[in-house]
Amino acid sequence: MNKKTKQKLAFLLFRLFSIIIVGILLSILGFIAFNGIKVINWEFLSTMPKEGMTEGGIFPAIVGTCYLIIGSLIFAVPLGVMSAIYTVEYAGNGKIVRFIRMMTNNLASIPSIVFGLFGMALFVTKLGFGDSILAGSLTLGLLTLPIIIRTSEEALKAVPESYRTGSYALGASKLQTIRKVVLPCAMPNILTGIILSVSRVSGETAPILFTVAAYFLPNLPDSIFSQAMALPYHLYVLATSGTDIEASRHMAYGTALVLVVIVLFFNLTATILRQRLSRKLKNK
Amino acid sequence: MIETKNINFYYGSFQALKNISMKMDANTVTAFIGPSGCGKSTFLRLFNRMNDLIDDTKLEGECLIKGKDIYDKSINIDALRKDVGMVFQKPNPFPKSVFENVAYGLKVNGITDKKFIANRVEETLKAAALFDEVKDKLNKSAFELSGGQQQRLCIARALAIEPSIILMDEPASALDPISTSKIEELIHQLKKKYTIVIVTHNMQQAARVSDKTGFFMLGELIEYNDTKKMFLNPDNETTQNYITGRFG
Ligand SMILES: Nc1ncnc2c1ncn2[C@@H]1O[C@H](COP(=O)(O)OP(=O)(O)OP(=O)(O)O)[C@@H](O)[C@H]1O
Ligand SMILES: [Mg+2]
Repeated sequence: MNKKTKQKLAFLLFRLFSIIIVGILLSILGFIAFNGIKVINWEFLSTMPKEGMTEGGIFPAIVGTCYLIIGSLIFAVPLGVMSAIYTVEYAGNGKIVRFIRMMTNNLASIPSIVFGLFGMALFVTKLGFGDSILAGSLTLGLLTLPIIIRTSEEALKAVPESYRTGSYALGASKLQTIRKVVLPCAMPNILTGIILSVSRVSGETAPILFTVAAYFLPNLPDSIFSQAMALPYHLYVLATSGTDIEASRHMAYGTALVLVVIVLFFNLTATILRQRLSRKLKNK
Repeated sequence: MIETKNINFYYGSFQALKNISMKMDANTVTAFIGPSGCGKSTFLRLFNRMNDLIDDTKLEGECLIKGKDIYDKSINIDALRKDVGMVFQKPNPFPKSVFENVAYGLKVNGITDKKFIANRVEETLKAAALFDEVKDKLNKSAFELSGGQQQRLCIARALAIEPSIILMDEPASALDPISTSKIEELIHQLKKKYTIVIVTHNMQQAARVSDKTGFFMLGELIEYNDTKKMFLNPDNETTQNYITGRFG
């Protein structure tokens, strides 16, 4: 075989593999969409489950997931962004910072079920929050903290040094420089991290398993100390431990579709937002 | 206006400035020339304490502005930088609108009166000979301006907070000839109100804009003289060789 045919063959092979991968992804999505779309209607999205979860809707699970998203963001965004500001803007590149960075990276690779266990031990039991939206949000917050810190750090580092010096040269303090120049400039990328963490939060089951998720609740949660239903856990319940698994199968596909749509929606928003904002800030 | 006494400056163990004593008068333009790496920028950055931002540096000697030691503990660095403006080699406008770029210095220095800010922005853009070119683009991103316009915007930004001294580190080296001559023209105008120190690699530019010129080499001030004298008949032979382009 000469060089040219080898080249061609390799090219074909690479192309084939990428087509296969895209095919697999599309068929997963197609499968969920095909099976789920049949049950999706306004009633499904806006009412409580009925008849041992074989009829009715998934409204409380959607609400619960929204609460958990908001709750985890309230906790993780300020903490994560401030921690990134500290390591990038204040702490230089000493031993301590490298240690912090190593820890955040390790934190990111801990399996989410371990976070769930930790959340149960700390928030549910030790701090006495019980199985609650608060405990679940904090646990999910912990899980997303490394993502937010990481992306915020990268975002801050990407801000040209010349903006900072330009600001200092005008008599601005460090804090003013960070608030008025560095943060606005880093915002598109920070937002991306936040939105990615939202899509993570909406999809995780393990961390909420022991900290907030309820099998079934007749009412919507009324405080941060209530338990809540959530989409991923609801899906798990429908698929494995409902009263009549076969009869609730269609509900499971519907739930899966809603979940996938939510996650894709957030990912898409992140991408679009980042492109928009960075084009606005770009030098030409 | 500015006076240094026996300045030694070190980056780590490397001595970048050697025993420099120099005096610059109010309302004059002083040019620093010299081969690359001789310490011109380092010396310039002493006057608004921008070197403080670099780790592991050491300064010996005295640096007085209006008779006050600016490295004294009682000095407020932000206030010093408000009084000693700086324009950088590469135009570095903020990713904000033209208006916000000029207003920035006012806002961070505690001015909130909107009308006052708007007036001052217009005045300074006029003073920087930029107003006519940008008056329809005040709310557009500063990045939509040309490189030369961006640099004049950076000058306007520095002027807005009414400094008494303006430091310019090769302000025209990234610009085309026409933009360069606009900046030089501007420097002529600004001299009436401000004390200007400019670093340049362009001999003609130094000759055109400055009243006095300092020639640096390897961290030393080789000669400091009236610009005319310096370019026609320098006291020092090395200066002569450098200016006539025999090295550097
Ligand atoms: N941040 C720094 N850390 C360590 N050394 C530095 C730093 N900045 C400058 N130096 C060194 O100090 C010396 C003087 O640098 P400086 O930038 O003041 O020169 P310059 O005369 O402005 O040169 P140029 O004309 O190329 O701008 C150089 O040898 C340079 O390598
Ligand atoms: Mg320089």
